Amino acid sequence: MTGSILLKGGLVITPLPPGSGSTNGSSSLKRLDVRISNGVISELAEDLERHNDDTVLSVRDLYISPGFIDIHTHLRDLNESAKETIETGTRAAAAGGYTTIVAMANTDPPTDSTRILALTLDKIRTSAQVRVLPLAAVTLGLKGEQLTEMAQLAEMGAVAFSDDHTPINNLAILSRALRFAKLLDKTIISHSEDKDLSQGGCLNESHVSTRLGLEGVPSVAETASVAREIEIVRATGGRLHFAHVSTEGAVALIKRAKADGLKITAEVTPHHIRLSDDDILDFDTRFKTSPPLRSKSDQDALIAAVKEGVFDAIACDHSPHSRHEKAQSFAYAPFGIVGLETSFALVHERLVKQKLISINELIYLLTKGPAKVLGLTEPEIALGARPDVTVIDPNHTWTYQSVKGFSRSHNSPFDGTMLSGKAMATIADGRIVFQEQSRLTAK
Amino acid sequence: MTSKPSSASTTPLESLRTAFIESAYTDGAKSFRRGRHLLDTSDLAHDEVDSLIETATLAKRIIRRSKASLDLLTDKVVATVFFENSTRTRSSFDLAARTLGARVINLDISTSSVTKGETINDTAATLIALGVDAIIQRHSASGACHQLLPTIPSHVSVINAGDGWNAHPTQGLLDLFTMMEVGGSVEGKKIAIVGDIKHSRVARSNIRLLVPLGANVHACAPPSLLPEGITEMGVIPHVDLAPALENADFVIALRMQTERQQQGLITSLDDYRKLWRLDHSRMKMAKPTVRLLHPGPINRGVELTPELADDISISLINLQVSNGVPVRMAALLLLLVPEVFK
Repeated sequence: MTGSILLKGGLVITPLPPGSGSTNGSSSLKRLDVRISNGVISELAEDLERHNDDTVLSVRDLYISPGFIDIHTHLRDLNESAKETIETGTRAAAAGGYTTIVAMANTDPPTDSTRILALTLDKIRTSAQVRVLPLAAVTLGLKGEQLTEMAQLAEMGAVAFSDDHTPINNLAILSRALRFAKLLDKTIISHSEDKDLSQGGCLNESHVSTRLGLEGVPSVAETASVAREIEIVRATGGRLHFAHVSTEGAVALIKRAKADGLKITAEVTPHHIRLSDDDILDFDTRFKTSPPLRSKSDQDALIAAVKEGVFDAIACDHSPHSRHEKAQSFAYAPFGIVGLETSFALVHERLVKQKLISINELIYLLTKGPAKVLGLTEPEIALGARPDVTVIDPNHTWTYQSVKGFSRSHNSPFDGTMLSGKAMATIADGRIVFQEQSRLTAK
Repeated sequence: MTSKPSSASTTPLESLRTAFIESAYTDGAKSFRRGRHLLDTSDLAHDEVDSLIETATLAKRIIRRSKASLDLLTDKVVATVFFENSTRTRSSFDLAARTLGARVINLDISTSSVTKGETINDTAATLIALGVDAIIQRHSASGACHQLLPTIPSHVSVINAGDGWNAHPTQGLLDLFTMMEVGGSVEGKKIAIVGDIKHSRVARSNIRLLVPLGANVHACAPPSLLPEGITEMGVIPHVDLAPALENADFVIALRMQTERQQQGLITSLDDYRKLWRLDHSRMKMAKPTVRLLHPGPINRGVELTPELADDISISLINLQVSNGVPVRMAALLLLLVPEVFK
């Protein structure tokens, strides 16, 4: 890394937690120039002078945010490189404004051993465009039976543990996992779903599944499982994070558990904020995701919970799948939506433009909030801070075309949609890893 | 709504044939043809339903007089592709297509383990390359016909012969045709569908056809087989049989798969019989003129007693099978007839 980067004329956003009443819904921005050099944010002032070796980005009136953190990304790679690799996934992340992503452990083969984790860390070193923090599996083969070597995996660099996509229904196993995670000061990320209740289901159980003649996943499959897992957290004192919460019932339980002082956190995805099962185009598998897009009332409850501060993070659950897999019938096509490149616009349009939360609160859910969930250093635009910065144009209008994007997969229900708001430049670890059409570079 | 199909007449066969051809050029017929495919009854406008019923009525009058080929679609090739077992639907489509003069390719893939849908687009592509004009497909996956559409060229029609639990439009149409033959318009009639509603494409296609026509449709099933949100399809749900049957003009019984017991979806087949099996005494709760339909094949003694199934004063089951041919002739003619008939 040579030279320094100077951001001129931008508006710095301080992340503020939603629901605290600290912003009253209005934005709080400070016009400051930012210099990044020597591996840190080195200067912050109203009018910084240009140095000879500066790469100057003219970001007048654009937002300057700490780099986004996504704590729920499926990067695939290994035997699923046709869907995504660490390189393509991190390029997509950079284009979406992310400077840190947490890679799920349900890879093929799963990240359930020191050998696979070492292989993954090696691939990250050689091909990642932004910081990638890998998770390790909670159980061997994601089978929910025998715990992985959590201590060694944590020491090697597993940032947390999750069997995401295959819920742990054996509460004895979950309970032990939480005790070990507590010992190691790590979080368990739970994909909470009762597999007997959800068996065979491929979309929300409602008038929509009935109309289409498809097996539904009842909302109680998630709500009942969340209720059980909260009691295990209460009993063990461990730290549990609920991934992709989708039901009104789960939101209510999580809110109460947090009020009880349990170490419980939760995330919501952009697609659950933006869509309900009523939006599913008949048999269009791009809308098939797990947990499924829920009813309008669940969607409203999720949005209200964001506003109230029940959620700690917005997470993409970026799940790439190849075209031929998604071309199968709805019942057989795999679950998942790609989201790294569209997430900011989707949540910004729904939450900030519609004045439900302030930009500072949204940025909290994309930066500080997710960092706190996993116990990472909290990102900020401050002197000496890690040089991870995202420049945002909240009004940039663009059409998302997955084939022109960076991800290797295209399974998004938002493909072809006109969106507003975009990361215009992403600086990860002091390096410009993404720039929208190079429009910002001054001569 | 079209009036009750008229009974046999002495019209010469040749003029019936002419009327049959002309019936394919009404506004309703043209409108149906513009849709190119028949995926479900929900896609049909009133005048399109009228048109299909009118053409089917003429077809029935013709085949009652002669089973000879009408030589109308002689330059057309129709393929039936069945990924799932069928006897009546498949032979009914085959006979209908041949009676119209089309050539038929029958592809039977039901015996293999192909159920996952990966190959259905490949199969369709092969048939299109062979030059077929219509693909009649049955598949265990809901939406299997919708899945074909993006790769279907504009001169090929897709006809859904049953997709998963979703739809079976020609069964819905032949049930409507049969009920109209017996009782005239279905408007204002109470029609009770009884049985495994959740897993029934026949129930869904009937509901989507009958509700917009003004029928009072009631759906009765064990609680585990009455799907969530069924009321939004415009039906009145029941778990008790009595209020569903009370004053009904027609009762459509559905096949009760015996494996629902192993799946734990019902307590037992005997319990099912106790609470929901149709017999003569239970049918007395309905109107005295009540008629019974069943899409077949019957699980004798489970969803209905053999005595009831065989009682031709109540049961329309054999008439349904007979009516399958003219109804499918109507669908094929209307979709495949040239824009101008020479």
